[in-house]
Amino acid sequence: MSSDITTQPSAVARQAVERLRDAGLYGPGDAVLSVRDLNVRFNSENGVVHAVRSVDFDLMAGKTLGIVGESGSGKSVTSMAIMGLLPETADISGSVRFKGQELLGLGDKAMCKHRGSDIAMVFQDPLSSLTPVYTVGHQIIEALTVHNPGMSSRAKEARAVELLAMVGIPSPQARLKSFPHEFSGGMRQRVMIAIAIANDPRVLIADEPTTALDVTIQAQVLEVLHAAQEETGAAVVMITHDLGVVAGMADDIMVMYAGKPVETGTVEDIYYRPRMPYTLGLLGAVPRVDTSQKSSLVPIEGTPPNLIKPVTGCTFADRCPLVTDECRTAEPALLPVVDGVTAGGGAHRAACIKSGALVDVDAHRIFHAPPVPVSKFDGVPRDERATVLELKDVKKHFPLLKGSLFKRRIGTVKAVDGLSFDIREGECLSIVGESGCGKTTTLLEIMEFHPDQVGEVVIGGVSNKAATDGKTKQAMRKEMQMVFQDPTGALDPRFTVYEVLAEPLENLGYPKDAIRKRIMELMKLVGLQPDHVNRFPNQFSGGQRQRIGIARALAVNPKLVVLDEPVSALDVSVQAGVINLLDQLRAELGLSYLMVAHDLSVVRHISNRVAVMYLGRIVEMGDVDQVFDNPRHPYTRALLSAIPVPDPELERTRERIILQGDLPSPLDAPQGCNFATRCPVFAALPQAKKDKCLTLEPPLVSEEAQQFACFFPDGEIDADMLVVHA
Amino acid sequence: MTNLIDTVAEVDEARAADVVIGKGRIIFRRFMRNKTAVTGLAIFLGLFAFSLFGGFLTTWDKETIDPLNIGMGPSPEHLLGTSQAGIDLLALVVEGTRVSIFIGLIVGGLSVLISAVYGCSMAFFGGKVDSVMLFILEALIMMPAILVVAVATSGGGQSLKELPSWLLLIAVLLFFSWMGTARLVRSLAMSLMQRDYVKAAKYMGVPSMRIVRRHLVPNIGSLLVLDFTRGITGAILAEVAFSYIGIGIKLPDVSLGVLIGGATWQVSSFPWMFWVPLTVMFLLTGSLAMMNDGLRDAFDPTSTSIGRAKTKKKSK
Amino acid sequence: MQVLRYLGKRALTYLVMIFLTTSAGYFLAVSSLKPALLEQEKIPRPSPEQVANSFRLLGLDPNLNPWERYIQWLGGILTRWDWGRSPNGAYVNAEFADRVMISTRLFIASIILTLIIGVALGVYSAARQYKFQDRAITSYSYLVHILPAPIAYFLVQLGAIGINDAVGERLFFVTGISTPGIEPGWPAFVDLVAHYAVPTFAMTVFGWAGYQIAQRQYLLDNVNADFVRTARAKGLTRNQAITRHALRVSFIPVAQSIAFTIPAIFTGGFFAEAIFAWPGVGLWSIDAIGKQDVNVATAMLAYGSVIFAIGAILADFATTLVDPRVRVQ
Repeated sequence: MSSDITTQPSAVARQAVERLRDAGLYGPGDAVLSVRDLNVRFNSENGVVHAVRSVDFDLMAGKTLGIVGESGSGKSVTSMAIMGLLPETADISGSVRFKGQELLGLGDKAMCKHRGSDIAMVFQDPLSSLTPVYTVGHQIIEALTVHNPGMSSRAKEARAVELLAMVGIPSPQARLKSFPHEFSGGMRQRVMIAIAIANDPRVLIADEPTTALDVTIQAQVLEVLHAAQEETGAAVVMITHDLGVVAGMADDIMVMYAGKPVETGTVEDIYYRPRMPYTLGLLGAVPRVDTSQKSSLVPIEGTPPNLIKPVTGCTFADRCPLVTDECRTAEPALLPVVDGVTAGGGAHRAACIKSGALVDVDAHRIFHAPPVPVSKFDGVPRDERATVLELKDVKKHFPLLKGSLFKRRIGTVKAVDGLSFDIREGECLSIVGESGCGKTTTLLEIMEFHPDQVGEVVIGGVSNKAATDGKTKQAMRKEMQMVFQDPTGALDPRFTVYEVLAEPLENLGYPKDAIRKRIMELMKLVGLQPDHVNRFPNQFSGGQRQRIGIARALAVNPKLVVLDEPVSALDVSVQAGVINLLDQLRAELGLSYLMVAHDLSVVRHISNRVAVMYLGRIVEMGDVDQVFDNPRHPYTRALLSAIPVPDPELERTRERIILQGDLPSPLDAPQGCNFATRCPVFAALPQAKKDKCLTLEPPLVSEEAQQFACFFPDGEIDADMLVVHA
Repeated sequence: MTNLIDTVAEVDEARAADVVIGKGRIIFRRFMRNKTAVTGLAIFLGLFAFSLFGGFLTTWDKETIDPLNIGMGPSPEHLLGTSQAGIDLLALVVEGTRVSIFIGLIVGGLSVLISAVYGCSMAFFGGKVDSVMLFILEALIMMPAILVVAVATSGGGQSLKELPSWLLLIAVLLFFSWMGTARLVRSLAMSLMQRDYVKAAKYMGVPSMRIVRRHLVPNIGSLLVLDFTRGITGAILAEVAFSYIGIGIKLPDVSLGVLIGGATWQVSSFPWMFWVPLTVMFLLTGSLAMMNDGLRDAFDPTSTSIGRAKTKKKSK
Repeated sequence: MQVLRYLGKRALTYLVMIFLTTSAGYFLAVSSLKPALLEQEKIPRPSPEQVANSFRLLGLDPNLNPWERYIQWLGGILTRWDWGRSPNGAYVNAEFADRVMISTRLFIASIILTLIIGVALGVYSAARQYKFQDRAITSYSYLVHILPAPIAYFLVQLGAIGINDAVGERLFFVTGISTPGIEPGWPAFVDLVAHYAVPTFAMTVFGWAGYQIAQRQYLLDNVNADFVRTARAKGLTRNQAITRHALRVSFIPVAQSIAFTIPAIFTGGFFAEAIFAWPGVGLWSIDAIGKQDVNVATAMLAYGSVIFAIGAILADFATTLVDPRVRVQ
């Protein structure tokens, strides 16, 4: 009875509670937010979309509920329905009660009494969520004014300063006068949190609050949210697609699929004892950053159902490996799991008729995860393999100009500052780092391949210094191709798949029938139906589009494929399939990859080697397991520590390093070690040792299979930057 | 995803023939689905036919004076009446419509061409070339076009005097009509060059000219087609306005503007002289505006079946 | 201050542009306008020598080549701020102020009304998107787009005459500035209103369409913006969130677009002055060109460019006022 979701006491007691609720009374032990049979329908040009279907949950004071789901699962619509922020055209039914008081059906004006004071919300995109023309002070004070008309302006300003300080904005008094565009994304999200907690809400809804942020900033913002919850004692609804983010924070989890909760329970129930194939698949689809996991990921084939059509059976049936005819006859209800393993009490519920048979099953087995592909190069020592790409001291400096009519140079941005590395046959090297660290510029420099570049780029034995004529360049283009981050933007919407795939082949002068044959091969290679070649990109799902992008890159049989965040735009369940495909292609075709990614879990899964970049330089590089298991550079340690792991037990107990502030502008790059300003080790050093960091640039030194650029590897971490959630 | 079925059906049909034709056909079909646009097209084609063959509706031509019917209202002999000078109004309106449509088509077409070339060049070369071309463009925007029209068309200069007034008007209208579109083309081309699929083609080693032809032009094309109809409307309106106050086309050349302007002084005594050409002008500009609306729908990927899925995804 | 420095730079750029466009205009005018030919039509017909002689005294020597005349003309402006003389001997400078005053008087009321009504209707129609009011207002604006300005003005004149006829009394004057010899005081004021009403009404009802459509579009672009949602999540009602947040942001592009409508008002002014017979700059230019007057035509061209530049700089300034993002640049 200790659990919080859908507490189900005996029928009589329940009735009593319901009666109290109907009378508008609210008991102290009751849920602060109680949602019953919430349904949301939208009218669209193709028919009525049933976006949220009978959602039930109770949120207890001070507790955290995580709502997990992929795009289109209805999780955000649920939160907007609670807030009363859906457009008037939406058809909402059911019940949403705040402290026993019904919120659904309240007019905009009546709802405004609750919004921002009882229930507050933090949104996903901090860049667009603040009004650009007002100062942040104005926007915080506005939230105070709405609910406290009598408050003096001095008191409001004092409260605003207090709030900014609470969310960790340095010199809050001065920053009140700043406009949103003067803040970084992470800072703006802090301001959003300050606005949300301004009136001490009882319920705080956070809709993907960290999705748009870098991992280090994500860790900071999650800390702020955590602190805000402790400060205000609010109950939190955390909406996310990332199973790692909620693992450490949530008390309960609700997994949504196709507009409906498919499994609910305590966080331990969901992570350790999932009883719905979808949850099982999701957990298996996410790679782990903390373990060397050399098994394939669990792919969930197919796409979520169309919510315009009436639901006749289990919505997951079409993607479920365990599906039987019985699953399609009726949609399974969310019922308490009875299997003797679950803690019991009825709090753990799953919407699957086979939930009882899912005790201790291996997701890899039931989802038919492919065997780990083995490349012919895997057995060959690295030194004996040929080099496909080599960078020697590559630099890219941009002059920073000012003035509109007469430009003058006010500084230099060292986007890439002396990069050297090589990639051997059959290996995958990943470059990681925060946005702005220079990883994308590195890719562009390699793709540019121009003799005037600073430093040498050697691709398949051809140096950029020799690329003076079109022929050499063309030869290089055959060796190296690229896969882009956004699969939609990378395909011309006016081209059919056939035309997309034919473009590189035509360019190399293939005859027509050879092109046709090659395209059919490619379609099969990336797991698409060959008879879909005449379709346009918008007729495919995101994952399929990325497969088309991969097929295009492979068309000319390159040795090296450059992958720019290849899976970051995809949903978790789709991501696994694409990662498996990349793994398989590398093994089968003996490809080498150069990947840029911000998701370190994906990096660990797919790469052999990793290079960590900070402000245009490599600070640590080596074999992926070596670096991830035994990071030497404090930045690598902080970066790895910032990744949440989908394991509640571990998440709650582990120490995490929270870096202070944002990546400094490359313009202010400090002398000596450029990480010193944020370095957790540096902060703990005695003054005498600090001088060394501030005056000398640490060189990249080799130790075994690992290189790093730090004078004090494995140093003591400053206690202020170390956090453990008790 | 939600409307895969109808798009698939559309493409399946298209696949039977050549794919490229299929795409044109989809746009055509979207246009034909828009009733307003089709009505506009019908009216425009009707007027176009009228301007070419309307002369056969009357035995009179635009020069012959009918001394028996001077300033008479519509009659069986003169379907639309006659002018103060005794010239058949129908013949005049046919001629005026032809001149107006002609000016519209030439100015609309050529200005689109100029703006496409100018705008693309700016985007393509960038840097210094871009800033110099932008300066010229802004300087031209700055010039009060009407004064230049007036100076050019009423000048007593030797070389300009020999030209017929409609040709002069076309030249001047053309000179001042392309800057806005050129700016649009420039920014559109610049953003297209940043698209990943253009980068992808570049990294494949596809030559620049081919990228421009295969990726840039088709994507700018819809803007240009839209601007073509808008340009025709603009040119027709400008002709009417300028001729109306007597600085555009001058007698003996006839245009809708000349007819409307010439009739205003006696609108109470010869109302048909004013309202007939005005109605024709209205039908002309109105039908073009209706077509423009339909074309915008047909070309705009966000207002079609493809786009609907997109907006829905966003709303979730 | 940075803003001032920025605006100063812009002003400098425009000064260069004005110089270039005006010079180009002068060459066009000097090579196509031949006042001497008109003199030949006078009775008694003067001899070409007489004409050339009198024109030389006016600084309009037809025997000099365009370049020489340009230098002479430019020298006059730069040294004495003298924009030259008309073929009839009048100084451009002398008449200029009067003409500008008349034009400004004609336009000022309608410019302000157009802006206010256009923006207000834009906001109103956006708030009632797809309802009857929105459809009516927006369709009207699109209708105005396919009507040439002079014809629109003429139709208003017809309407005013119709009212006069219906009332049986001359309520409105459809042309002219004032009745000559009117008594000062109350009668003069009534006369002023009677003359003002028709042109101001005409220019306003046919002028706001552009602002209405732009304001409606920009506001609609913003009503569903994320920051409006944030404002509502704070506890503001939908209407409060829209008026305090979306509206303010939607003014940014409207402020910018005003720059490009100011020259349009100037151009529209030619038609208004011609139709309503107000002898302002527009009518002066048309008359001057009819009289093959090079200097007036060029001065008017320069004036048009200056008006444009002032509009553009004002728009820049307005943008820096409403958009804090520009301020820091």
